[in-house]
Amino acid sequence: MTSTAIVETTDFSYSYGAFTAVQSLSLTVREGELYALLGTNGAGKTTTLETLEGHRRPTSGSVRVLGGDPADRSRIRPRMGVMLQEAGFAGDLTVRETVELTGAISGRIDSADRVLDDVGLAAKSDVRVGQLSGGEKRRLDFASAVWGTPELLFLDEPTTGLDPSARDALWSVVRSLREDGVTIILTTHYLEEAQENADRIGLMHRGVLQREGTLEELVRDEVSRITFVAPPGRELPVPPTSTENGVVTIETKHLQRDLTALLSWADRESIRLDRLAATNSSLADVFRSLAD
Amino acid sequence: MFAIARSELRMLVRNRLVAACAVLLPLGLAAVFLFQGLGSSGVFAAVLQITVIVGMGVYVTATTTLAARRQTLFLKRLRSGAASDATIIGGLVAPIVVVNIVQVFVVLGALAAVTSWPVNPWLVVIAVLVIEALLAALAIATAGVTNSPEHAQVTTLPVFFAVIGISVWTMFSGPDAPAPVEWGQRLLPGGATTELVVLGWTGGDLSAVPLLVGISVAWVVVAVLVARSMFRWEPRA
Repeated sequence: MTSTAIVETTDFSYSYGAFTAVQSLSLTVREGELYALLGTNGAGKTTTLETLEGHRRPTSGSVRVLGGDPADRSRIRPRMGVMLQEAGFAGDLTVRETVELTGAISGRIDSADRVLDDVGLAAKSDVRVGQLSGGEKRRLDFASAVWGTPELLFLDEPTTGLDPSARDALWSVVRSLREDGVTIILTTHYLEEAQENADRIGLMHRGVLQREGTLEELVRDEVSRITFVAPPGRELPVPPTSTENGVVTIETKHLQRDLTALLSWADRESIRLDRLAATNSSLADVFRSLAD
Repeated sequence: MFAIARSELRMLVRNRLVAACAVLLPLGLAAVFLFQGLGSSGVFAAVLQITVIVGMGVYVTATTTLAARRQTLFLKRLRSGAASDATIIGGLVAPIVVVNIVQVFVVLGALAAVTSWPVNPWLVVIAVLVIEALLAALAIATAGVTNSPEHAQVTTLPVFFAVIGISVWTMFSGPDAPAPVEWGQRLLPGGATTELVVLGWTGGDLSAVPLLVGISVAWVVVAVLVARSMFRWEPRA
């Protein structure tokens, strides 16, 4: 991965009147990265994305995308693909006409057949957009964004409303774009998608970027859990965090060490640990701690 | 702009309600004027038909269309591309204006055939082009305060009836109006343009033509400036 900054914000804030939606956000996304911007509802993700896309002007601070002002449409937009959170399509146009229109104003060159085939909408090319399902509209939105393979791709909740196979198909296209070196900025409520695909993750809450890093960096300080049914009257080798209905929970930042200690003890004492489970810390834990 | 205009034309044709408002209704009204005897006074019918056809076909239709495109976030979609704001608005409004210009000249041609041909047709052409530009710009401005296509049925009424009122008043008082009244009419939006139609259709002293054209164009410039400041690209939060 090179070190060229594709997106760079410095102390960027955005306010809707008296309400500050994004506060002093400093963010760098490098060439070829897939950066996932996650957060609680109303955290400011979409406002951030729309500012990076050039739809909004920051109230204060600076925002640079692809080395320039994102609002400079004629220079920046031909290099940028945008998948909006809400589609904004004309119901009276067909799927093909819609892709051709958004393609024509993208400043990039591509073929409607290729793009529609990629997103699995080739069979619907002559259907009016108003007759598409919600998931099909998301795929059409995705098709419009990836038209002409942009250098930078914004995906605002791309898989919302998609069935599992359509999600898989979309991610397959995203992975192939990554192989072509496309830089991608993503927001999603599906944490597992960010966990599986993102190089780095930023977590926003109440307009502030609270945490940022790789998945490993983010979960490093979170606790893992060991649960089992406690043998009555025995002192455990690792102190339990809680016990409820006989089920012991041990929260630990040293899962391997404590699990080994527990299993060795159980083996030595010939104790059977019923319903034993060990769960690694995950992005969901980080997210919950943020929301709390 | 061509890609946006072509899409807009497709939508105009496919949406029966919009097509009826933009094309059939003005033509229907024109036919009523013709067959109800208004055609006997060519200039009166010409002024009324130009005002009504452009008022409905451009002003009301463009206001409704822009409000609808904003409400469905289609404008935001278009702004996600490389096209400038002027290109987007131009592409959305151009088909409506072009279709309307064709309508106006078809109707005026029919009127001329039934009554009499205009003495100075070039003045009528100038007047039609100016009123098209004026009402297109006012439509963009009005769309700024119009939340939905339904809302446009209300927000378009003041300008629509004001323009018709000014045109009818100017035409009826004619050259016999006292100077202060004549100047008042000329300085109102559409007043000078109506005078151009009257001069074009019936002939007369053309010395005031440069002034009338100047006032008409000045109103277009004012309307464009108002449109620039009033237009909104996204629905109110």
